[in-house]
Amino acid sequence: MTALRILIDSLAIGSLYALGAVGFTLMFGVCGILNLAHGATMVVAAMTAWMVAGRLGLGGVASLPAGLAAGVITALATYRLVVRPIQQSRALPEAEKEIFILTATLLWGILLREAVAYLFSDSPVSTPALIPGIVRLGRIRLPIDKLLDSFICWGAIAALWLLVNRTKMGQTLLGAAANPRAMTLLGHDLARVYRLTWILYGLLTGLAGVLLAGILGAGSAQSGQLTASAFTIVVLGGLGNVYGSLIAAYAVGTLETTTAYLLSPQIRSIPALLLLVLILYFRPQGLLGRR
Amino acid sequence: MDALSGTELKVEGLTKRFGGLTAVKNVSFSLWGGEITGLIGPNGSGKSTIMKLVMGLERPDAGSVQIGGEETARWAPHRIARRGIGILFQHSRPLPRQTVIENIMLALLPDRLLHWGRRSEVLERAEWIAERVGLSEVRHRLPATLSFADLRRIELAKALARDPRILLIDEPFAGLTPLEVESFSALIAGFRENGRAVLLVDHNVRSVAALADRVIVLHHGELVCEGTAAEVTRDPEVRRIYLGEEADTASAKMPRHPAPPLLEVDKLSLSYGRARVLSEMSFSVGEGEFVAVIGHNGSGKTSLFNAISGFVDYAGGLVWRGSDMRRLGAAAIARAGIVHCPETRELFGPLTVRQNLDLAGSHLPRADMEAQLDLIHSIFPRLAERRDQAAQSLSGGEQQMLAIARSLMMRPKLLILDEPTLGLAPVALNQISDALDMLRKNSGIAVLLGEQNVSFALRHADRIHVLERGRITWTGPADRFRSEAASGYI
Amino acid sequence: MWKLLAVFLLLAMVPWLGSAYLLGTLTVACYFAVFAMSWDLLFGFANEVNFGPTFLIGAGAYTAGMLNWAGISIAGSLFGGVAAAEVCGLALAVPALRLTGPYFGLVTLASVLLLQQAVIIFAPFTGGEIGLTVRDVFSADPETNYWISLGVCVLTGVVLLLLSRSSVGLILQASSQDRLAAAALGFNVAKHKIAAFSISALFSGLAGAMLVFYMGAASIGTVIDISIGVQIIISAVLGGRRTIFGAALGTLALILAGEALRPVGEIRTFLVSGAALVAILFFPDGLVGQASRLWRTR
Repeated sequence: MTALRILIDSLAIGSLYALGAVGFTLMFGVCGILNLAHGATMVVAAMTAWMVAGRLGLGGVASLPAGLAAGVITALATYRLVVRPIQQSRALPEAEKEIFILTATLLWGILLREAVAYLFSDSPVSTPALIPGIVRLGRIRLPIDKLLDSFICWGAIAALWLLVNRTKMGQTLLGAAANPRAMTLLGHDLARVYRLTWILYGLLTGLAGVLLAGILGAGSAQSGQLTASAFTIVVLGGLGNVYGSLIAAYAVGTLETTTAYLLSPQIRSIPALLLLVLILYFRPQGLLGRR
Repeated sequence: MDALSGTELKVEGLTKRFGGLTAVKNVSFSLWGGEITGLIGPNGSGKSTIMKLVMGLERPDAGSVQIGGEETARWAPHRIARRGIGILFQHSRPLPRQTVIENIMLALLPDRLLHWGRRSEVLERAEWIAERVGLSEVRHRLPATLSFADLRRIELAKALARDPRILLIDEPFAGLTPLEVESFSALIAGFRENGRAVLLVDHNVRSVAALADRVIVLHHGELVCEGTAAEVTRDPEVRRIYLGEEADTASAKMPRHPAPPLLEVDKLSLSYGRARVLSEMSFSVGEGEFVAVIGHNGSGKTSLFNAISGFVDYAGGLVWRGSDMRRLGAAAIARAGIVHCPETRELFGPLTVRQNLDLAGSHLPRADMEAQLDLIHSIFPRLAERRDQAAQSLSGGEQQMLAIARSLMMRPKLLILDEPTLGLAPVALNQISDALDMLRKNSGIAVLLGEQNVSFALRHADRIHVLERGRITWTGPADRFRSEAASGYI
Repeated sequence: MWKLLAVFLLLAMVPWLGSAYLLGTLTVACYFAVFAMSWDLLFGFANEVNFGPTFLIGAGAYTAGMLNWAGISIAGSLFGGVAAAEVCGLALAVPALRLTGPYFGLVTLASVLLLQQAVIIFAPFTGGEIGLTVRDVFSADPETNYWISLGVCVLTGVVLLLLSRSSVGLILQASSQDRLAAAALGFNVAKHKIAAFSISALFSGLAGAMLVFYMGAASIGTVIDISIGVQIIISAVLGGRRTIFGAALGTLALILAGEALRPVGEIRTFLVSGAALVAILFFPDGLVGQASRLWRTR
């Protein structure tokens, strides 16, 4: 039955990773930004959710919108306070802006992490389950929450797909990712598209953070590791390619879970890291990326 | 150094393919010491590819490149450079953080990791070279503070420093005033006197005629003609390439009635960094008019269009339907009725034809969008067939059609078309031509066309402006172009 | 050059003026200054952003630590540490030649994470998460340790500064600013890039190994942490990119500021990171860069 347990855990973890990675890859695909404060954003959302559910006693259901709101606010703050000033800066040559944005978001992430640790203490917290209880699958006892979280992940990703492929607004995201100059030539306001992207990013990442708090527990100490996982997955799948990120998320989730079960939980992240290094040496555009 | 002679560079059967496109087809020529050769051809003729192949920046699919008798076609670029080739790029590339003299010193250094001492010798030689090209006064300044001509001088200085047996110069006189052209010509002639081989690469014969002993003409990757400047200019094949067929101007024109001006360009000037790209251009486009701006690459067409559509800053006046355009951003200008279809087409590659068109028509209410789509499908029936195909998988002609169709979805009052015929086969070209005719018949749209393909422009334009180095040098109706302006164009 | 001598004189006077605590802080600052200067060489002269300088530092530190623990002398361990750092530097140079933009940055980040994991896996040799203690240290006397670190710092500074101003420095800058133009002038860009990595690894590894023999121990948190890497980058950027001297100055400023804020307690990191972020946004040229700008426009 270990195989079944591995499968279920892989699926659960993979779905969570997928949600976390999708936002990251969307941000790179449309805006060209690698947000190294990604993990910190998730932790902020998680903490907010925990606080609303526990401290303020509003329960699990209210914690979700609170976490989402926290995610969006953090994302917009990242855009307005950190990223946009650098993009519009006249003091920096264009070629160096990317590096400065990477460094600045890294710093910003540290700032957020420290703030969370100061305000909430740095031990990890978990939010209470949205729906408490256990379900049985053969000989395995499964918390309903775990299943529910996976469904929520898939639901969110499906909603994103619908938005992008079936709405006018979503098509502008595809357009901006494919060719920003063309968007301007066709009269679209790129600034609006970028704002929309950051809001979507905040929603997706916030949701991932809230769910994470439920499954694994979240704490400020993890923000770095979360960012690392996200970019590993995104690079493996192909920077900017959402389908690639999804596949890679499940692949990494499975690799980690299998390693943890069959070898040792200590070294769970190694296979993915090794895979990352191999890919970067031999196929830097990732699984589905283009050169 | 004593004068060298003999074959310095020998190119034989050089061929290079990029995917399905053959950029260079079986080209053979030689350069001799003590001679200046011109390599000319319109945009897309393969000139830059040949330069890259010679410099080792690209590998040929077939053929050989011999420098001083040795086969160098597959060597690494720095090795080829050391063998004796120098290149003056089209755009100056000084190290921005180093002074002029340091930039020159760089060219004097050997490719070694350990280079102790002898710095004063290098410095002395660099100073001598700076003197020679006229940079002594500014030698301790940073490139950002220099004039355009001085930046070009740095490039020449670097070439002098390396004293290569072969020197390739891309667009030697672009952006220079007549006085500067004279002093540069003298410096280049100096290379010839020292027995070096010089290759001047440019768009038309006129720009290199004064210096070149011999001219080679390229078209569509093939060598078309070789001879002195005068011979080449008279050659009927070359005339056909640059001026198109004689028959073209006869097509029916719209009756000329006074058209209220839509776009007024008033003393427009533009510079990129230090390079003066447009100088006080003035003209206008009236409602329903078809105006063509003819010029080679580098004449300023694209910059002009970018200024009008709001992508670059400019000095001077731009008025659209009576109001000043300066405050509007690029997206706003597009929505106001001026739609720019650039040379690079800027399609959404991975998206389908339908998605490309939808993104263009998203500002319109549903009904209008459908109506516009119908119009487009009648003009470009091919696109209707390919609605669900990804834009990047379309053929060159279809991509151009999509680019134009997309612009039309915005229901522009003025359509700016930049080199629509670039890289297209004759069949596709005719389809575009027919589409433009149909467009003019069905809608009162005004068109501003930028082309180096003269026959295409002559076929459609009510009025022609010839653009050369950022200035309009001739204006008039299509039928008078050949008799009055053609010779200056080749 | 005069600025350097002035600062050196100032620093040389510290043992007489300062306390043991100050000496200790400055000793660490000197080693970190070497890290920052090496980073600046790579960034400023090879145009490569290394997000994980602690990969090279950690390699040097741990190798030296393990060798010493196994019984090898300090000198031998230092040598081994530097050799290990060199190998790692070359390992990083290979993808640097082929990857551009964010990809290389990600390789550097990944390399640090991998090293961390490697240390944890091979715990019997490395001490795992607890860390490693070494048999020997340089000295118990703070003054001696200070002189040693100051010596290494000044030596590195002088070498790198001379390098940056030499012909090789010029070629390095050319190769990094414009590959095409450099190749057209006959320079083998790859060779020079590898050289830059090599030099950066040399000094990083050396200082990292020496740090171990100062502290008497090595652990992931002190030599392989990402935050330490970030601190190094901030120091170099705050001080002024591409000035070498700026990197040392920035390190000093950052470490002294950190110490000065120690009484504030938990939000110390927050304040320092916040200040660094503000500095990056508003003064991207750093201390030395800003100063030279003011100097030039006066």
